[in-house]
Amino acid sequence: MACAMAPEEKVVVFGTIVEPLPNAIFRVSLENGHKILAHGSGSVRSTHLRLLAGDRVKIEVAPHDPTRGRIVERLK
Amino acid sequence: MITIKSESELGLMREAGRLLGDTLDQLEAAVRPGITTGEIDQLADKLIRQHGAIPGFLGYNGFPKSLCISVNEEVVHGIPGKREIKDGDLVSLDCGLILDGLWADSGRTVMVGNVSDEAKRLVEVTRESLDRGIEQAIPGNRVGDISAAVQRHVEANGFSVVRNFVGHGIGRNMHEEPQVPNFGVAGAGPLLRPGYALAIEPMVNAGSHEVQMLPDRWTIITADGRLSAYFEHTVLITDDGPVVATAA
Repeated sequence: MACAMAPEEKVVVFGTIVEPLPNAIFRVSLENGHKILAHGSGSVRSTHLRLLAGDRVKIEVAPHDPTRGRIVERLK
Repeated sequence: MITIKSESELGLMREAGRLLGDTLDQLEAAVRPGITTGEIDQLADKLIRQHGAIPGFLGYNGFPKSLCISVNEEVVHGIPGKREIKDGDLVSLDCGLILDGLWADSGRTVMVGNVSDEAKRLVEVTRESLDRGIEQAIPGNRVGDISAAVQRHVEANGFSVVRNFVGHGIGRNMHEEPQVPNFGVAGAGPLLRPGYALAIEPMVNAGSHEVQMLPDRWTIITADGRLSAYFEHTVLITDDGPVVATAA
């Protein structure tokens, strides 16, 4: 009997926004030096946070595609 | 945590596997046009108990029968009932039993009478993909080597592997770690060690890999309604290579 696939665990990383791109996507430089593309999560968007270049952010990355992520929090 | 089975546990799993292989052989022989899926289930239940084993699926997470039967566009976990088998059907039998506390889990797709050429090829490729996966089940390899070997063979033949359901470790429980997907990257995932036991089970769709669950909360069907096939063995990882416990 097959086993239901467990949802993938997300990896949480920290980085700094390098530049905002169209369609609410941001280029983010991670602490480990990698650059990835990230979009804002629902809660980050709905609180009308303006994410700007230079903001430090917390990002969730799916293990199967480490080149993209979602910004879950702006850090102060 | 992935459990390492002792020599005696591995011996019992071989014994359980042999019983299950025999049982599936007899079930396969019984699948013919006119028989109902419920009758095949009753036969499975009787054979398992005759061998002194326990039908593992009966009551597992509330599953009501001793055998899963999935016909044509049904992928896995079909519940036996009044459905009558017809000429040209693809009938997937999936069975598990417990002998002295240890599990064996295995299954196969049976072609009934005159099946289409596509169905034949689908069943053949699925069976071969399981063999490709089993070849990789050796100490020092990783789970991803099994996954990638299955996926490569299936996709090279133009079919797709189901993503939402996966194979699994097996032993004193049916579902143990690790998960054994039928898709993945060679060299990734947990390292295989002697004493591991895995249920490797490619579920292969003729069309898209997308699946849906029926309202009975068990039966999984292909989202596009096209055919699906499935083969499964319980495989022991040993220093001498993979041992297929559920070989008939």
